[in-house]
Amino acid sequence: MIEFRVGQLAKLLGVHRNTVTNWIRSGRLQARSTVGRKYLVEGPEFQRFCRDQGISTAVAAELSRAAPHAVMKPIIRQPIKREVYMSEKAIGSVMVVGGGIAGIQATLDLADSGYFVYLVEKSAGIGGVMAQLDKTFPTNDCAM
Amino acid sequence: MSEQFEPVVIGFLCNWCAYAGGDLAGVSRLQYPPNMRAVRVMCSGMVHPELVMHAFRRGADGVIVMG
Amino acid sequence: MNVELLTLSEVESVSGDAGNFTVNIKKKPRYIDMNKCIACGLCAEKCPRKVDDEFNMGVSKRKAAHIKYGQAVPLKYAIDGDHCIYLNRGKCRACEKFCPTGAVNFEDREETVPVHVGAVILAPGFKPFDPAGLDFYAYTQIPDVVTSLEYERLLSASGPCMGHLVRPSDGREPRKIAWLQCVGSRSTNRCDNGYCSSVCCMYAIKQSLVTAEHTTGDGLEQSIFYMDIRSHGKEFERYYETAKASEIRFVRARPHTIYPGRENTGASMRYTTEAGETLVEDFDMVVLSVGMEPPEDARRLAEKFGIALDHYGFAKTNSFAPVTSNRPGIFVTGSFQAPKAIPRSVAEASSAAAEAAAALIQARGTLTHEKSYPRERDIVAEEPRIGVFVCSCGINIAGVVDVKAVVDDAKTLDHVVYVENNLFTCSADTQDLIAQKIGEHGLNRIVVAACTPRTHEPLFQDTLKEAGLNPYMMEMANIRNQNAWVHQGQPDKATEKAKVQVRMAVAKVSKNYPLYRDTVAVQQKALVIGGGLAGMSAALGLADQEYETILLEKSDRLGGNAWHLTATDRGRAVRPVLEAMIDRVENHPRIKVLQNAALESAVGSVGNFVSKIRVDGESRAVTYGVAVVATGARESRPDEYLYGQDDRIMTHLEFDAHLNEGDGIAAGMSSAVFIQCVGSRDDRRPYCSRVCCTHSVKSAIRLKEANSRMNVYILNRDIRTYGEREDLFRKARDLGVIFIRYSADQKPEVSRDGDGLCVSVFDPISRFPLRIEADAVVLAAAIEPNDTHELVELYKCSANADGFLNEAHPKLRPVEMPVEGLFVAGMCNYPKPIDESVGMAKAAAAKAGVILAKKEMQLDAIKSYITEKCDGCALCLDVCPYRALQLEEYPGEDGRSHQRIVTDKALCKGCGLCEATCPKGGIYVHGFTMEQLKDQVSAALAVL
Repeated sequence: MIEFRVGQLAKLLGVHRNTVTNWIRSGRLQARSTVGRKYLVEGPEFQRFCRDQGISTAVAAELSRAAPHAVMKPIIRQPIKREVYMSEKAIGSVMVVGGGIAGIQATLDLADSGYFVYLVEKSAGIGGVMAQLDKTFPTNDCAM
Repeated sequence: MSEQFEPVVIGFLCNWCAYAGGDLAGVSRLQYPPNMRAVRVMCSGMVHPELVMHAFRRGADGVIVMG
Repeated sequence: MNVELLTLSEVESVSGDAGNFTVNIKKKPRYIDMNKCIACGLCAEKCPRKVDDEFNMGVSKRKAAHIKYGQAVPLKYAIDGDHCIYLNRGKCRACEKFCPTGAVNFEDREETVPVHVGAVILAPGFKPFDPAGLDFYAYTQIPDVVTSLEYERLLSASGPCMGHLVRPSDGREPRKIAWLQCVGSRSTNRCDNGYCSSVCCMYAIKQSLVTAEHTTGDGLEQSIFYMDIRSHGKEFERYYETAKASEIRFVRARPHTIYPGRENTGASMRYTTEAGETLVEDFDMVVLSVGMEPPEDARRLAEKFGIALDHYGFAKTNSFAPVTSNRPGIFVTGSFQAPKAIPRSVAEASSAAAEAAAALIQARGTLTHEKSYPRERDIVAEEPRIGVFVCSCGINIAGVVDVKAVVDDAKTLDHVVYVENNLFTCSADTQDLIAQKIGEHGLNRIVVAACTPRTHEPLFQDTLKEAGLNPYMMEMANIRNQNAWVHQGQPDKATEKAKVQVRMAVAKVSKNYPLYRDTVAVQQKALVIGGGLAGMSAALGLADQEYETILLEKSDRLGGNAWHLTATDRGRAVRPVLEAMIDRVENHPRIKVLQNAALESAVGSVGNFVSKIRVDGESRAVTYGVAVVATGARESRPDEYLYGQDDRIMTHLEFDAHLNEGDGIAAGMSSAVFIQCVGSRDDRRPYCSRVCCTHSVKSAIRLKEANSRMNVYILNRDIRTYGEREDLFRKARDLGVIFIRYSADQKPEVSRDGDGLCVSVFDPISRFPLRIEADAVVLAAAIEPNDTHELVELYKCSANADGFLNEAHPKLRPVEMPVEGLFVAGMCNYPKPIDESVGMAKAAAAKAGVILAKKEMQLDAIKSYITEKCDGCALCLDVCPYRALQLEEYPGEDGRSHQRIVTDKALCKGCGLCEATCPKGGIYVHGFTMEQLKDQVSAALAVL
């Protein structure tokens, strides 16, 4: 568990504080708010986030090594330059575009077999056309 | 009798269909009388006859098994 | 947990290559904070702006603040920026005022975020055809002419008329309804959709059957106007026969114009029957069976991702790799690839998942994570100390139920040591609070009186785990969905009911005990039975995910039926691909091929199967965690139309072989007759063999292209060239192939006339009997499954009446078999062409891969268990639908051998049929023991 303030993390990562707020608000950085305008984030979640954002693993490891519930101290004085995650190895995440029955099925299968999945849906909720159907043939099962 | 008769019905609701239906009735705000007491079970086939008798012995006016 | 859902989002741009893409996602503002929204619906209630509800196809209204539907995921409201009064005119903010959690955020702005992924799967779906452009259907003018999707919403119990069908014009129940097939499909006249949408025949039949259930009284008249009924899927033909038997009228005609009825209610239709009669008929309602089109933004999406589309705008793939686009790392699936029904969409979505997984195999598990928890406190010896948390859910519960009274009542109950009321028990800070109270008061059991356990139990179980308690030491009292929301006008009675609900939960939780999820070790190996195209594709799919795979083939060579096929439906030669595939299979380091092999036995369950396999007369044992069954099917041998009595009468495969002997054969013929449905769609095999129409049409084209002066006839009952195969049908007609319809009670006859062959058939259009002289008669013989009796016995799986192996669920689990750990692929499930066989096989590989991905498999904790009262009477054995119970012998204290039941936890699903059957309390289900259920009932009735 790492505890931080928005401003601190922004300084550390060399980004604007609004960027950090946006990360949290959008849920990309899954941090919970606590007392005194501070946030809490799980260690592994923070590492995942760093990988996705292209923050070097060394920095991520150092940040998450901070003692549980301890206020994070600026570990690195120099702001980190954000670099795109460039590795010889493939990235272990998949994007699925479309949240209908096909997209949902592909997402579940991938998430269950060891891949992180981003499911992109253009409307406000998933389900697609199948959710609109009353019954399905040939068994007359409810489509829900 | 000063009060109107209010039956108490014990409902055994299958987790996968009837109980889910009960939840959906809520989301859809479908109103129904508050006389049923729901017991969630994993399948309506789980309800032993003894359980039904038990309900009647304790004074239930009706038992409904939904699944 | 390993999924991030990005709603209201669209792909803006893509860069990078396979293994490392950067996709920029444009996220539109939702104006509602998903972390704060509790889906109470107050914003929608207070929102003054009404707009057409697109979920109900505009049949009803919704508000600008809305959810798509009652069971939406995520169940979070959204404000529609296009219609919101505040966002457009700067005044209102009613929702913000009333939102109990302060979730409304009008400062929300559109943003673009980069996402790094190794692969992309495109599944943007389809767009229902809009018939407004076809003026002759008068869809925009006549209110009682609706599209099939609108009709679907009218029928739906969750739709605008709550399942009581009424027509739009006057709100009355329609008695006479017509369906018009192929609206926006199989037409190159006013729209360019030359393909068949594949699903409309079946959904029209479904809608007519469901309508009969939804309407009351007699006199319901339903008619389906069609060109060909395409019921080509598993159990579809029986469904069609059921409809015919239910007095649904099928009329072979394509009505061209719809006129308004009197006072613009109902509609009138002019059509011409096959016999040439022109009729005018009135209907209360007309349903346009609209087809599928590629989604509107398909072309832009394809451009962004650099993938190719076909001439209709569906994603281009090939039959041997049905989900692979032309760009490495980008996969396509669902109805974006071709029009298709749900089962194929589901199966091929899994196959896209398998392809993506195989492409990123080195990176598997690098970005996924699992949560860790503190050590569990041992509470077995403790007296129950129960904490009750009563949720107000803003005003959702507290607005009806007097929560303070519920709290006070709970305090009086036995074992309850702490009671608290929360504004939102599910909020993150309350979770911390619950954990804190567990520590402070030494609580060992928790009751949450809030919403439904079906959505929120996992959340609270997690809180218990984080606080060091066993997650099964909690119960929920559903005082929202099944109380406050459904008894809004009766607050007193609702409060009384809520008290009883809490009492019931307390009674049950007092008897809860720690439960643990058993794990079973998984043998990370797979067995594939059958070495045809499907079997080989499944084996490659598994081996490419780096799992050891044994491929069992009964004959001495791999390839199966594919050796006899010439070209795919898209015109690609089969042989070179087949040979390359066999080569890959035989040389794959992780595939072991066993030829001349037969399965002798199978014991065990998912994760751990053991089989004896006989190879070349020798028996050997193999262990595996999952099996894919792909035993295939074959062309049947006809016993009619003089088959076997004349060399010129051939089946499809024989005719193909004959043509392949030399180039000049077709040039030497002057007439050929194809007869469809030989042995299919009859009493013996009441199913459609799915592939023969396309096969005949392809062969006919081949003949016409070799010799354009040749007369080629296809005698058929319906032509079922579904999907883009319709292009072949059109091409055959353009080339001059003659299609003649026959009916099942008036079949064609084949006779020998001296040296010549002659086919007689009645032509329903000219109404004359025809005599056709033929150089060759080709019989479209039915596809029948290879024998699966033994396999069904060994694995205790099941086959349908026709001998095709069954899937676990025809829609949602199309490649899983009812026995966990077994998967089905290819023609042993139902006749199908190459692309569908391969798609299904890859899906089976994906599903099997999900099980094999873990060294250990976690089982659910809700399982049956034996008590000391079991005396081995075995009454429960027969009722168990999962065959999870067995008798075992054990030595008793008296030194003699006794019998009792044992539960196979890997098979048990916790349904409790055994518990209800046992007369002596010998078997219970954890968490639902007779004692727990009785205590719940007693608590419910104690106040009486």
